[in-house]
Amino acid sequence: MEGGYGNRGSSFSQSRRGRGRGRGQRFPSNQSKVSSFAERGTPSSSSANRASASVISNTLEDDAQPSSNFVGTCPYMCPERERIQREKLRDLAIFERLHGNPGKSSPALAVKKFCRTISTKYVQASDMRPITVLEDTLNYLLSLLESKEHLFEVVHDFVFDRTRSIRQDITMQNIVNKKAIYMYEGMVKFHVVSHYKLWCSMSDPNTASLHHLNMEQLTKTLASLFNLYEANQNSNHVHENEAEFHSLYVLLHLGSYSQPMGEPLSLWFQRVSTPVLKSKEMCFARRILRSFRLGNYKDFFCTAAAQASYLQFCIMMPYINEVRVLALSCINFGGYKLHPYPLLDLSKLLFIKESDLESFCNHCGLETGTDESGNKLLPTKQTTFSHPKGGFQRYSFLGLQEYER
Amino acid sequence: MSMGEAHRRITEYLNRFSDAISSQDGATFKSLFALSSNSPFLLSLGDALNLFQDPNRLIKQSDNYSQFADILVPLFRSLLNYRQNNLLEAYNAFEKTANAFIQEFRNWESAWALEALYVIVYDIRVLAEKADKELASNGKSPEKLKGAGSVLMKFFGTLAGKGSKRVGALYVTCQLFKIYFKLGTVHLCRSVIRSIETARIFDFEEFPKRDKVTYMYYTGRLEVFNENFPAADYKLSYALKHCNPQSEANIRMILKHLIPVKLSIGILPKNSLLEKYNLLEYSKIVQALRRGDLRLLRCALQDHEDRFLRSGVYLVLEKLELQVYQRLVKKIYIIQKQKDPGRAHQVKLEVIVKALKWLEIDMDVDEVECIVAILIYKNLMKGYFAHKSKVVVLSKQDPFPKLNGKPVNS
Repeated sequence: MEGGYGNRGSSFSQSRRGRGRGRGQRFPSNQSKVSSFAERGTPSSSSANRASASVISNTLEDDAQPSSNFVGTCPYMCPERERIQREKLRDLAIFERLHGNPGKSSPALAVKKFCRTISTKYVQASDMRPITVLEDTLNYLLSLLESKEHLFEVVHDFVFDRTRSIRQDITMQNIVNKKAIYMYEGMVKFHVVSHYKLWCSMSDPNTASLHHLNMEQLTKTLASLFNLYEANQNSNHVHENEAEFHSLYVLLHLGSYSQPMGEPLSLWFQRVSTPVLKSKEMCFARRILRSFRLGNYKDFFCTAAAQASYLQFCIMMPYINEVRVLALSCINFGGYKLHPYPLLDLSKLLFIKESDLESFCNHCGLETGTDESGNKLLPTKQTTFSHPKGGFQRYSFLGLQEYER
Repeated sequence: MSMGEAHRRITEYLNRFSDAISSQDGATFKSLFALSSNSPFLLSLGDALNLFQDPNRLIKQSDNYSQFADILVPLFRSLLNYRQNNLLEAYNAFEKTANAFIQEFRNWESAWALEALYVIVYDIRVLAEKADKELASNGKSPEKLKGAGSVLMKFFGTLAGKGSKRVGALYVTCQLFKIYFKLGTVHLCRSVIRSIETARIFDFEEFPKRDKVTYMYYTGRLEVFNENFPAADYKLSYALKHCNPQSEANIRMILKHLIPVKLSIGILPKNSLLEKYNLLEYSKIVQALRRGDLRLLRCALQDHEDRFLRSGVYLVLEKLELQVYQRLVKKIYIIQKQKDPGRAHQVKLEVIVKALKWLEIDMDVDEVECIVAILIYKNLMKGYFAHKSKVVVLSKQDPFPKLNGKPVNS
């Protein structure tokens, strides 16, 4: 099947645009304001606001240092020099091989790698891709996520590295305009969706480490995005997706006393603008956070089922089981011993299939039973309850099943 | 101002500088670095420097000055730029001044120049904040405050040794706290706190009282972020007890954080305290806790949302909801006890649903069961709930334990 790559349209820009148009169906668009990246038209303003010091520099990619008014001239997704060198070294990712040839690529296939040791001292303009080329490159990379031919982990690995390189090029050129915002939103979205998909395969140790690295880049890229919003701030104007991306930050704090970006949420709230704070998306995230912190599992599940967007779902999904465990703890501890809890009632409460719930209870050290009519029951006051070690098997969240694929 | 007058002012400054050092006059010395104080003396010096083409020539004129050229040259540039409102350049130059100063300070045996060090530490933070405002308004990344933090870490390292200088370390620590709190990078406080609290060279009681109060205030706030309420109570109470009783603004600032902490461990303030220090935004919250009025709690949080969010206590106050629920169920229990003492300990979930409805809060019986289960689990209520009968059966002994200064089980 690798020969299929040869059939890709010979026109670079045409194939990019055509491919992107079909991406919308991947996510239910009525559930999220963050539509498919490629569906959004190019912002009408073409003037680039290039400051001499990058607003993204606080989360700079490793050693890269911004320099004044540096504009890239590379017309390809990968600088020619790099492509030729990597062909010689046979250092081509599977997506970059022409007709599957590990020693041959093409301008339409090769994508610039992230460079750990880059320095402005030695970089040339021809090594840097200007904003329009970066935009096309990102569209191409995100289109690869539609691929059915490869494991998600393989696609993720490639897109992870190459989007990091895109951020590197943006930072090196101090691009802080609206186009940069849209691109960063697209990349954050990639990491958010990856957060969920990699979490589904957490039993594999390799995937667990990918998940950890992905979380790192997710938080760094999100922080850079917030800096971009601030640099493009107009009084009382909120960017179309600004509220939703801020809500993702709040939801990342659902973990037990986690501070994914090193900053207490209480301090972070001090800097969020009022229009964002009052937005529907932030009110949702703050309500979920409150329910989580109070332990109100009923409100947590109902609110999530009723209101979560796809991206919010992706961030929250790892915590669904945490809240289920809490619910079981409370019910086991406080339930009436002589009246076991019907599993059917409990499964509705926790938005989980009854058969999955039985497995879930067993995983928590709780035995289930059956009454004379064949109804499954959970006896309470069991002393064998324990918080499960390691990961969970994947259980559906019945409230948002359409998001799970 | 004439050229001659400019020359005279610069020379006068240089003389004061060298005289202060030779006679170890700390009070005079510190005033020479206080840019942000906007003193007429320094502002007019800025004017003089603007007029005089080459002040560095004056510095080289005499050994008394030239041996401190590393401090004076950037300091003059900073003063000049500050006067002209070029705050970024003023900061950049002042940073060089600070670095040169700390080199010199290391060589001085005694702590005579400690007051000057305090002024430099304070001003580098203030100038960094001003520079960052300028950067941000020009669409650039505000990064000078972060740089100031690095400089202050060097100052801290210099003071953290044997000898009389070490009493200055806590002041530097507090200025670092202000920087990290502003930047949101409070995890960086950890290493400094560890030094202050565990290094053998430091005895907390040796530090100046003013600095101890500030230190306890900030570390108390850190404990609030971590929801470590007993520690937060201890530290913020220390700050309250030892702060200047004449400074109502400081008392108010401490209470703004201490009150939510006290509430979290079940201690309610008197309304007279709230009135005295103009903390009336907490009145309705206290009332909600007394009454078990969930609607009142929600209204109070909504009415003062901006204020609570900006002061960083909103999330702590939100968690008081569980105590409000506890109080509500307790009131129902008390009413039932008056009506029918024999069956008071059985509360129908439907009654709680009705009580909440009366408070204009729609909640179904499943959610009420959930709330009851949580209250029991966290030991805010003793008893058990029966899902089948939709009843909570309360313990006959102490069904609603008081917190008595301990936080709710997490």
